[in-house]
Amino acid sequence: MITLNFFVIPLSLILGLTLQILPLPDWTQIYRPDWVALILVYWSMALPKKVGVWFAFFTGLIVDVMQGTLLGQHSLALVIIIFINMNLYQRIRVMSLPGQAMYVMILLLINQIAVVWIEGMLQRSTPVMAFFGPPLTGMFIWPWIFILLRDVRRKANLS
Amino acid sequence: MKNIFQPARGTVAPALFLIALSISIMFVDQRFTHLESVRSGISVLVSPLRYLVSLPAMSGTWVAEWFNTHNSLVGENRYLKQEERLLNARLQKMDVLLAENTRLRQLLGASRKLSDEVIVSELLSVDQNPYRQLIELNKGSLDGLKDGQAVIDDYGIMGQIIHVGHNSSTVKLISDPEHVIPVQFIHSGMRSVAFGNGSTDELELRYLPATASIKPGDELVTSGLGGRFPADYPVATITHISLDKTHGFKSAIARPKARLDSSREVLVIQSRENTTEE
Repeated sequence: MITLNFFVIPLSLILGLTLQILPLPDWTQIYRPDWVALILVYWSMALPKKVGVWFAFFTGLIVDVMQGTLLGQHSLALVIIIFINMNLYQRIRVMSLPGQAMYVMILLLINQIAVVWIEGMLQRSTPVMAFFGPPLTGMFIWPWIFILLRDVRRKANLS
Repeated sequence: MKNIFQPARGTVAPALFLIALSISIMFVDQRFTHLESVRSGISVLVSPLRYLVSLPAMSGTWVAEWFNTHNSLVGENRYLKQEERLLNARLQKMDVLLAENTRLRQLLGASRKLSDEVIVSELLSVDQNPYRQLIELNKGSLDGLKDGQAVIDDYGIMGQIIHVGHNSSTVKLISDPEHVIPVQFIHSGMRSVAFGNGSTDELELRYLPATASIKPGDELVTSGLGGRFPADYPVATITHISLDKTHGFKSAIARPKARLDSSREVLVIQSRENTTEE
């Protein structure tokens, strides 16, 4: 059942979207973690019955509009990683935080492959670090996101 | 009580459906324009976020203006007055030239409008996508902006509008890797096209004839061909020329005149009729 507390999830995603377009110096851009993907992976791991592929699809559309990419590009990538996550979350939940971080990096790499592949089909080149940067920073930031969102989820009584 | 032992497995059917849907949406978005309304709809939804992230920079400007000292304001005022007098003097000369030009054009039978109407707009955000060079403006179709209009700052051409929302619009900068702008050398009149290459301080001119007389410092203006950009706006200055001996071509690097990475206020050129002739 959707309660008022459920809005914690959309709110966290809005925060992620804001962080994703926050203006920062040019050299930091390739290290900007994929906030939206990280937050989405957390929620689909914690509440797989509520946050699934549909959630990922619509979030992806919003990301596409905000980043000026092809409509559907980020939806495709997010749907793929959330689908993988929904089939593995039971095993991942019991892993240690560093182990989870490695797993999340792999998910983010798959996300990047989908995005970069489509960019490639449109004949746009991608710098190497722009490909590996976000998953790497995402891996380091995952434990903090996990702990923060877990506390938020407990406060909001979502389970 | 909830059955906690029943896993919420990611079922294949919805995932496959959504993947197929994403791919077809991408196809339609790439080839056709049917999805523009979807894009502008979502754009309206997220525009508050864009305002939010541009707040720190804007409030920085406000605070700086608020705490400006009396002295510096007086100094600035004096400077601006002087500047205005200078510009006015230049403008008087311009008026005469304009009238003369119009008269001569009438004699020639050419009907080219010389002045363009502009809309002042402010930069809302820079799209944080490392593959693209896009910016967002705070005006949209409600203010009369349309697809394909040229965007300039006080120094030269910045880019063109590619999506228009109700109260925001997306501009593709001339430095975007997918952007090409038709240009003309001022002194030789030679026409060419300048490719963006993804960095804000470079444009590339490829396949110039090996005999072309160009040198660093040459100025490029829009040629008006192609109908997108009005003619005779400054675009870039040549900085570097190289000769490809094996193919017998020259290629050049030019630095855009417009401050692509730092302008906050831009002008959108309204009238496009003057570009379709020639």
